[in-house]
Amino acid sequence: MKLYLLIPFLPLAAFVINILFGRTLIRDKAHWVSCPTIIGSLVVSVITLIDVINGKIINEDLYTWVVSEKFIVSIGFLIDQLTAVMLIVVTGVGSLIFIYSIGYMHGDKGYYRYFAYLSLFVFFMLMLVMGNNFLVLYLGWEGVGLCSYFLIGFWFEKKSASDAGKKAFITCRFGDFGFALGVILIFLTFGTLHYVPVFDEVKGVAGQTINILGWEVDLITLIALLLFAGAVGKSAQIPLHVWLPDAMEGPTPVSALIHAATMVTAGVFMVARCNPIFNLSEVAMLTVAVIGAVTSLFAATIAIFQNDIKRIIAYSTISHLGMMFAACGVGAYAAGIFHLYTHGFFKALLFLAAGSVIHAAHHNDIQRMGGLKKYQPITYITMLIAALSAGGIPGLAGFFSKDEIIWSTFASGSPVGTLVWILMIAIAFFTPFYSFRMIFLTFHGKFRGTHEEEHHLHESPPVMTIPLMLLAAGALGAGWVGIPTILGGGAHIAHFLEPVLGHPELHGTHAQEFGVMGLSTTIALSGIVIAAILYLIKTYLPLRLAQGFSGIYRVVFNKYYVDELYNLTIVKPGLWIADSFIERFTDAKIIEGIVNGVPRSIGRFAGILRKVQTGITQHYAIIMAAGVFILIVLILW
Amino acid sequence: MNLQFPDLTPVMPELFMTALALILLCTELLVKKKGILAALSILGVVVVAYTLIGSSGTTFGGMFVSDGYSTFFKVIFFVNAILSVLISIKYIAIERVNFGEYYSLILISTLGMMIMASAADLIVLYLGLELMALSTYVLAGFIRYDIKSNEAALKYFLLGAFSSAFLLYGISMIYGLTGTTDIKSIALYISEKGLTENPALSLSMILFAVAFGFKIAAVPFHMWAPDAYEGAPTSITAFMSVGPKAAGFAVLGRVFMIAFASIKLEWVAVFIPLSILSMAVGNIVAIAQTNIKRMLAYSSIAHAGYALLGIIAANNEGLASMMSYLMIYAFMNIGAFAVVIMLRSEDFKGDSISDYEGLSRAHPLLAALMLIFMFSLTGIPPTAGFMAKLYVFMSAINAGYTWLVVVAVVFAVISAYFYLRIIMYMYMREPKVEVSLSTSPSLGLALGVTTVAVLAIGVFPLYLVELARAAISGF
Amino acid sequence: MLPELFFAYFAVTIVLFSIFVVTARNPVHSVLWMLLLFFHIAGLYLFLNAEFIAAIQIIIYAGAILVLYLFVVFLLNLREELKIYRFIGGWPSGLTFGIALLAVIILSIRSFIAAPPGKYSINLIREETHTKALAKLLYTDYLFPFEIISVILLVAIVGVIVLAKRRLKT
Repeated sequence: MKLYLLIPFLPLAAFVINILFGRTLIRDKAHWVSCPTIIGSLVVSVITLIDVINGKIINEDLYTWVVSEKFIVSIGFLIDQLTAVMLIVVTGVGSLIFIYSIGYMHGDKGYYRYFAYLSLFVFFMLMLVMGNNFLVLYLGWEGVGLCSYFLIGFWFEKKSASDAGKKAFITCRFGDFGFALGVILIFLTFGTLHYVPVFDEVKGVAGQTINILGWEVDLITLIALLLFAGAVGKSAQIPLHVWLPDAMEGPTPVSALIHAATMVTAGVFMVARCNPIFNLSEVAMLTVAVIGAVTSLFAATIAIFQNDIKRIIAYSTISHLGMMFAACGVGAYAAGIFHLYTHGFFKALLFLAAGSVIHAAHHNDIQRMGGLKKYQPITYITMLIAALSAGGIPGLAGFFSKDEIIWSTFASGSPVGTLVWILMIAIAFFTPFYSFRMIFLTFHGKFRGTHEEEHHLHESPPVMTIPLMLLAAGALGAGWVGIPTILGGGAHIAHFLEPVLGHPELHGTHAQEFGVMGLSTTIALSGIVIAAILYLIKTYLPLRLAQGFSGIYRVVFNKYYVDELYNLTIVKPGLWIADSFIERFTDAKIIEGIVNGVPRSIGRFAGILRKVQTGITQHYAIIMAAGVFILIVLILW
Repeated sequence: MNLQFPDLTPVMPELFMTALALILLCTELLVKKKGILAALSILGVVVVAYTLIGSSGTTFGGMFVSDGYSTFFKVIFFVNAILSVLISIKYIAIERVNFGEYYSLILISTLGMMIMASAADLIVLYLGLELMALSTYVLAGFIRYDIKSNEAALKYFLLGAFSSAFLLYGISMIYGLTGTTDIKSIALYISEKGLTENPALSLSMILFAVAFGFKIAAVPFHMWAPDAYEGAPTSITAFMSVGPKAAGFAVLGRVFMIAFASIKLEWVAVFIPLSILSMAVGNIVAIAQTNIKRMLAYSSIAHAGYALLGIIAANNEGLASMMSYLMIYAFMNIGAFAVVIMLRSEDFKGDSISDYEGLSRAHPLLAALMLIFMFSLTGIPPTAGFMAKLYVFMSAINAGYTWLVVVAVVFAVISAYFYLRIIMYMYMREPKVEVSLSTSPSLGLALGVTTVAVLAIGVFPLYLVELARAAISGF
Repeated sequence: MLPELFFAYFAVTIVLFSIFVVTARNPVHSVLWMLLLFFHIAGLYLFLNAEFIAAIQIIIYAGAILVLYLFVVFLLNLREELKIYRFIGGWPSGLTFGIALLAVIILSIRSFIAAPPGKYSINLIREETHTKALAKLLYTDYLFPFEIISVILLVAIVGVIVLAKRRLKT
């Protein structure tokens, strides 16, 4: 018995049971199916992690699905250091969010459906990280996308929710298309989809080019960029970031699990997993670093002016994902994965705490909140820890991983690294600033809502607050496995991941490292101080500033008008073409619309063909004889 | 004169099958409850299937051969017979034709198919074919009071006789050319005497192709199929859409791969247009149908076109893919017919496509099963139908017919339109008529078996494929 | 020369009579044409020294089956077949393809090379007598086909009973 198989298949079993019996038998007890299974997965994941630490790497094909001489598809698992870390993030954060959901989703009429989808999501996510070949990766990739689509649109009665689901699905399609092409290209190049042979042979194809429409394109670069296109979609990077803020229409635990801790990090995971490919292409690395860094700053600035508590965190997620990509782009994959790991905790915590707030306030607008720390002390403290961690305050989880990234970019020694480093320093200011703006507006000051709303404020039930506390512990301490050597730590996680992710070339002295650390810490603290001045002490200032810089304010407040731009350049023309053409053609009665037209004309052709079938046996015999005649003529003449 | 009694081990399954059919004919007189006969026939077929083990060998002076190839096909025939009996029990009672001969005829028809699959001699082949066909004609006309059933039987019979004439002409021509009816000796004689270039040989080959093309319902020799499928009792439609087709493919493979091996290029050139036409006509005309049995008839024509790709590949890989295709087709097609049968009740025909509107509201489970079968017939993973298509396509590509596979894929896409339309009707339309199901344990069993098979083969196709490959290895 | 003439006579008349059988409007005439047809086929058998088959042909087909046909015709009281355009309207195309098919078949069998005759030459049959030769083959080499035929006949009987005799349950 292969124990590790339980990790993905326990959640799958939960999904099957819930979807089959949920409506009739289980109903509001669905969590009794889903929660124990994911906790079971967590336990097995921990055992697996210990095995991996002890040097037991698993790479095996369990089942070969299709075999032909050239085409082999198998379901196989690769459990190495990278996978083990991902398993802990997915099942660990997942378990807490499952438990939290019991309270948050209590009484929802789709309760069983919610847990079924959530379990299915976890299954696909685990397949994604555990697969030993690109096909399993792709299967998980599409699977999590599908579950995300279901869960964003979970309250499909709400039009905005089902629209957001569609937006996420369609936006990700753009990236996934590239990703699929990349996988196909890998297959064509290497003749296999398994990681190990592909990564072994990838050096051999370095420098090869292929001709696309007359352009000589470097093969490795093309593969890497196509794969990265998938990551851009899934991990919401520029220019495909637009779906993630809208995805907040889903239930908050879903945002925490899928749109913060796990699914959106799949892109980072994939880039890290494919590091042998990316390492060979400077262009691809440059692209990853620049897109990551620019997205990060871009999203951080947007987050400052948002008033929807979940959207602030959503933009924060985009920003942090950008940082991870930036780290990967300079070759510091371990730093990226380390940040992915700590981010999983503090970002899930931010979301769940926000969920707790929304649970009490029944809306998302922080301008109509305030003073909540009186009513929700646990939520307040845990969210504060999360914000400190996210902001990179020394000692907390986020600090170590963020510092690792900033130091890696600084010390990479390349011009790109330096550019990225400058952006990172800017972000180091914005992150604590918007986090604390959110904290101050939500929990401090006076309540700004109506009297009746104030009446409803209360702390969430223990089933919700206990996961918050546990996550807070993670947001505090999860980073301690990666305390850098200069601070007396062992940088364990970097060493742990080194066999898979390699070691970045860093050029810098200890003094420089301390200097960078001190700089980023100072900037982070100043971010908090300025937020405190603006939103606690001189609360009239933000409005005045907004008026003073109304131009910039409006641009950033409207998220740089990206949505509007897409609306104008893609959505509108698409709809216009669809509308005008279909309408014109139906009016003219040439064909009944492009969509209906083809099947219908085939149908009409079928109607004509059907007339051959007269029902008269004599005719049938004649047609047979004609067939024989034609065949003979065909073959013999 | 030296008389030697022929070795009977290879024909054991056939002997048991004959005995079983005769026993059923006699017990018919004794038992009142026809369900017992059905149970007996299923049990009997299982026993016959058991006798397949260790039956390999050649006998009757090389006229009859029991090898892996024939055994694989016989398993398809047994699956077909058992599933057809299972879906018949309640149905023929509803149609008021609950006669014991029904089961005997199914078994005798299956016997004919078995003989075809094992025939190493053209005379045996022809007799097996007639045995199968005659029983099927009778079965098609089994609902005597129903004019459509009469029509189905008569048309099938007349055109079947017509195609038999082509076959006999082909056989007599090849006999005249080579002086033998033994399939292997024919091949030997042709290569020895260098007859490959002889137009008479090609003519004979074409006549064989016509006769077998008729049995597998390939265009343009398919004309009987829609009328016969629509008029015949639904359980028999299921039976004859799988059995005779598989038997046709069995003889097709053996005769063309062995006897006509030397003119491979020519017969591949015959089957390519047949395959394309079958896929085209089958898939396109199916769109215009309003009767589900007729739609499935056209679908069956189209599937013959896909399976022909395996023949066109003209190698062992192609044959193996064709064999697994037919096995999978047996499950998914009979499964779909089982759903159709379930809709038939005393006062409700239930064979119109519009009867499926809103089926998911009243009968969600049945709708879900139909969805699986329609997905499988379309070829959507992870159902078995996808695997079936994948393997024949792959064998055709490996044999160098990429363009043909592209054509096939285009038609497969077209086919999605009418298969998925059923699903659309079931799930997205409001029910117009109230459908009451005529369920029975046996029908449930048949649906269960087919569903599990379709999904299991879809997820674990290797076992079947390896089996087909092993079966073909000694060909 | 003489055998060829004989064969030509039989062959041509068989084809002609077959056409008469299917074109005669009166069913009784049809049956009678068929009787003549069967006699000529028997003649062809005789010509091949297959006297046993020739006799069987006459006794069974001409004697038994045709009489049965006549009974059926009388029972159904068919006088003259109706001409319904819907059913026979396709005859020109049928004829065209029939002739075309005939033409290509004739063209392609011009190159026909007959295989050497088997061991049952006319002399051997004459020596052994036809009936015995046939019987020996039928019960040794062709035992298996022979047995299959017995099952086919059984199906015919069962089929007739099921389709014609079984009373419907109501």
